[in-house]
Amino acid sequence: MEAKHKYAFYLGCIAPNRYPGSEAAAIKTSRKLGIELVPLKGASCCPAPGAFGSIDLNVWYAMAARNLVLAEQMKMDIALLCNGCYKSIWEVNHKLKHHDELRDGVNEVLKTIDMEYKGSINVYHLAELMYDDKIVGPAKIRDSVTNPLTGARIAVHYGCHLIKPRKDREFEKTEILNTENPTWMEELVAALGATPVEYRQKMMCCGAGGGVRGYDIVHALDIANEKLINLKEANVDALTDICPFCQLQFDRGQIEIKEKFGVEYNLPVLHFCELLGLAQGMSPQDLALDLHGISCEPFLQKVL
Amino acid sequence: MKEVLNMAERKTKKEISSTKGTTTAVKKQAPAKLAIGEQPAAQKEARIGVFICHCGTNIAGSMDINAVQEYAKTIPNVGYVDNYKYMCSMPGQAVINKAIHDNKLTGVVVAACSPRLHEPTFRTATKEGGLNPFRFEMANIREQNSWVHMHDQEGSTEKAKDAIRIAVAKASLLEDLFPKSVPVEKAAMVVGAGIAGMQAALDLANAGIKTYLIEKTPTIGGRMSQLDKTFPTLDCSQCILTPKMVDVGRSPNIELMTYSEVESVEGYIGNFDVTIRKKARGVLTPAEAAAKGIVGGGCNGCGDCETACPVIQPNTFEEGMKPRKAIYIQHPQVVPLLYTIDKEACIKCEICVKVCGEKKAIDLNQEDEFVKVKVGTAIMAVGYDIFPIENKTEWGYKRYENVITSLEFERLICASGPTGGHMVRPSDGVAPKKVAFLLCAGSRDNTGIGKPYCSRFCCMYSLKHAHQLIEKMPGVQPYIFYMDIRSFGKMYEEFYYRIQDEGAKFIRGRVSNILEDPVSKNLMVFADDTLLDRPMKLEVDLVVLAAAVQPSADTNRTRKLFGVSCSMDGWLLEAHPKLNPCGTTTAGVFLAGACQGPKDIPDVVASAEGAASAASIPIHVGHVELEPYFAQCIEEKCAGCGMCVNLCPYTALALIEKDGRKVMQVTEAKCKGCGTCGGFCPGGAIWMNHFATPQIIAQIDAFLLGGEH
Repeated sequence: MEAKHKYAFYLGCIAPNRYPGSEAAAIKTSRKLGIELVPLKGASCCPAPGAFGSIDLNVWYAMAARNLVLAEQMKMDIALLCNGCYKSIWEVNHKLKHHDELRDGVNEVLKTIDMEYKGSINVYHLAELMYDDKIVGPAKIRDSVTNPLTGARIAVHYGCHLIKPRKDREFEKTEILNTENPTWMEELVAALGATPVEYRQKMMCCGAGGGVRGYDIVHALDIANEKLINLKEANVDALTDICPFCQLQFDRGQIEIKEKFGVEYNLPVLHFCELLGLAQGMSPQDLALDLHGISCEPFLQKVL
Repeated sequence: MKEVLNMAERKTKKEISSTKGTTTAVKKQAPAKLAIGEQPAAQKEARIGVFICHCGTNIAGSMDINAVQEYAKTIPNVGYVDNYKYMCSMPGQAVINKAIHDNKLTGVVVAACSPRLHEPTFRTATKEGGLNPFRFEMANIREQNSWVHMHDQEGSTEKAKDAIRIAVAKASLLEDLFPKSVPVEKAAMVVGAGIAGMQAALDLANAGIKTYLIEKTPTIGGRMSQLDKTFPTLDCSQCILTPKMVDVGRSPNIELMTYSEVESVEGYIGNFDVTIRKKARGVLTPAEAAAKGIVGGGCNGCGDCETACPVIQPNTFEEGMKPRKAIYIQHPQVVPLLYTIDKEACIKCEICVKVCGEKKAIDLNQEDEFVKVKVGTAIMAVGYDIFPIENKTEWGYKRYENVITSLEFERLICASGPTGGHMVRPSDGVAPKKVAFLLCAGSRDNTGIGKPYCSRFCCMYSLKHAHQLIEKMPGVQPYIFYMDIRSFGKMYEEFYYRIQDEGAKFIRGRVSNILEDPVSKNLMVFADDTLLDRPMKLEVDLVVLAAAVQPSADTNRTRKLFGVSCSMDGWLLEAHPKLNPCGTTTAGVFLAGACQGPKDIPDVVASAEGAASAASIPIHVGHVELEPYFAQCIEEKCAGCGMCVNLCPYTALALIEKDGRKVMQVTEAKCKGCGTCGGFCPGGAIWMNHFATPQIIAQIDAFLLGGEH
């Protein structure tokens, strides 16, 4: 299919380093849906919104602005696949577009590396583009599926930073503005042929964000553990998310929970792009699913 | 503005001759007006008095009054200049009066606040000085100047000079005008028959005025009839309401039109022509049946049809918690006792027609009817609706079965309600043990989803609900989540203490989230207890949301018919929030009850009595004076094209045959002086009284030419 929509693809840190399958899946599945993701060369860390935002906002603004300028130079909007990156890159873009003083300050810094932020592009999360029927939409996703995930019970973890804080967020599809009980990701999961499953405390945080995982791992894991208890109760085959950091927290976190709390869940955790890849016929090897902390085998046996 | 003026000054030097040419050309229009029989003021020697008000420090604190005064003396046609601390005070008005006599002034300019506030005051002062009151012009140097340029002394001084120069230019050309007196129809209309509309109609009727009471639903009574008990007296709502409903039904001066809507409104104070759509209810009253020659026929409310009807619908009066049929009455105490057919639901099986038999009350093919009435004044009492609280998704209304609204609670606890007054929770029909009440649900909400205002009666009815639970169901624990308890009315604070003593638990904090246990359907309520400064969670069986209120669905359509403005929230706007709370900016149209903003029953009744009193005044006086701002046709210039007739929003214009040709004619009482026709007329044949073209051109010139002529 010819790519109608081109975006500068911002990778972030966790996806390429810990879950390279998501990166591969994002590029390959998007292409089948009419989106071409062009590498954003020279990009740095987004930088992490919790860690940097809590310590020095000016560094946060300047680094995110540099990434934005790289895309401006390519004359392309940014697409990304991580809620944390979305928070940094989208929000800094939004702030700089609306606050002249802030923009002038940032440009002062960027001048030292011969760059200037202009505010000429937009930032999108890949999931948001997948749901927008003007770009992709659930119907088109359904049509692209060659290996429907029939029979798989899949729960969705939305993560926080894409949709919260709701106050300034702007989405083409207003369904995404529903912060308390969104169901648009469930629609996407259903488009893959799987059965989306509701569970208790769906909108609870994964526990990792905002620097909590780095600062107080036991506390962070305690939160993830509560979500895992609720997921187990709902009897799901896998959890899907749209944020590699949430994925890391639930996937590697299960190993740490086993060590620290002595409980075991063995719940496969897949980024939505990985799920989409499976449904479009990518092999588990192409998706590097063997790099996951928790084995995806039981889930794969069910859907392949 | 200053820049514009400088540009104008520069332009003046270069192009003065050409601009001057235009001015003279336009001024030539004035003699044409002579044909109507007036002497243009400009032809006499205009001597204008300028009076500058300090308004304490409101104006004087932000500009140099002396500089403005000195400047005013240099404006052409100015015969006298003075300033005073409060021009609107009696001594201030005396200054104007004396100056008119001493200086033989022909016009008055007061530079002060807005015409909305004090134009009537200064017109009276002008009149007392011996001039026609319409020889007065106001320069607003407060709202549009000192208040907005509080920290720009120099700028506001210059702007005041401009405003005065412009006002003097107009005042020099003002003419004597005479208000028109028109008779007032001795009848009134009340739209909406909730407690506000009923009270207003009863008062008008008791004052001897024929009153049309229009209600869109099949019965009168409104929201109050849905309530179980009223705070703080705890008397039964229906018990105190039904006597009034009966009175309304019986009053010889009230013509009650239920299941009807206002379709169109024409005319003006004293003479409103209102068309009412009587929606086809499919059922004939005894009177309608008699008119059709059916002896002893028409609906007597026996209910046989309802028993027979096979179609089941949710009963909106019971908030959908009880079924009704396609032919229905909302509750046993309806006034008028008359069945109505839900046309959307009716399958036209005609079983009801058969069981009705000889009464022949049912006409399934009935169509909407239009009735025209003439009234002198009208009251809007269109009430409120409940905000769709499901939009606040965090509380899960419509998602969790055991989250209900306070209005649903009223019906559930009411002895005549769907459960016969047994308070049960929707998921399993079991009586709850722990009930959480969420106050400010969607009120005082700045997220953009809810409403920013306080809905004013939720605190009190939630206290009442807590009391009802404790009284009716010993052992039940009510928890009240609140921001502030606003118990401001008579005996309200005492009621609050009483409920505290009875054992209701109060938690100061907004609820952030509610989660449902998928099995037990119990609800986990998460909040921040701001008094103990700690987050809390509480498992309850039932959550009651004290949802915000908003203007009723039809408010916007109806208000436009009557030309009433609304606030940003959609509530109808009174003429003045403090000093004219019942009036509107449309003369002869008044407001009663919660359509103005949230009000509890005592406030609603008080406001209804106020509106009824205000609406009866023009009717009792018998005539009203209309401002003489109407358009006039300069017949020699009129080409009879008729463009203006189509443009007029008030149907005040018509083409007539005169001396063998067509000319336009104005119905002066209908004309509001909006100027649409005058601004459009290609031949300049329409003269707008008090806003005539030469007067406006003079104002523009005075501004652009910076005082040079």
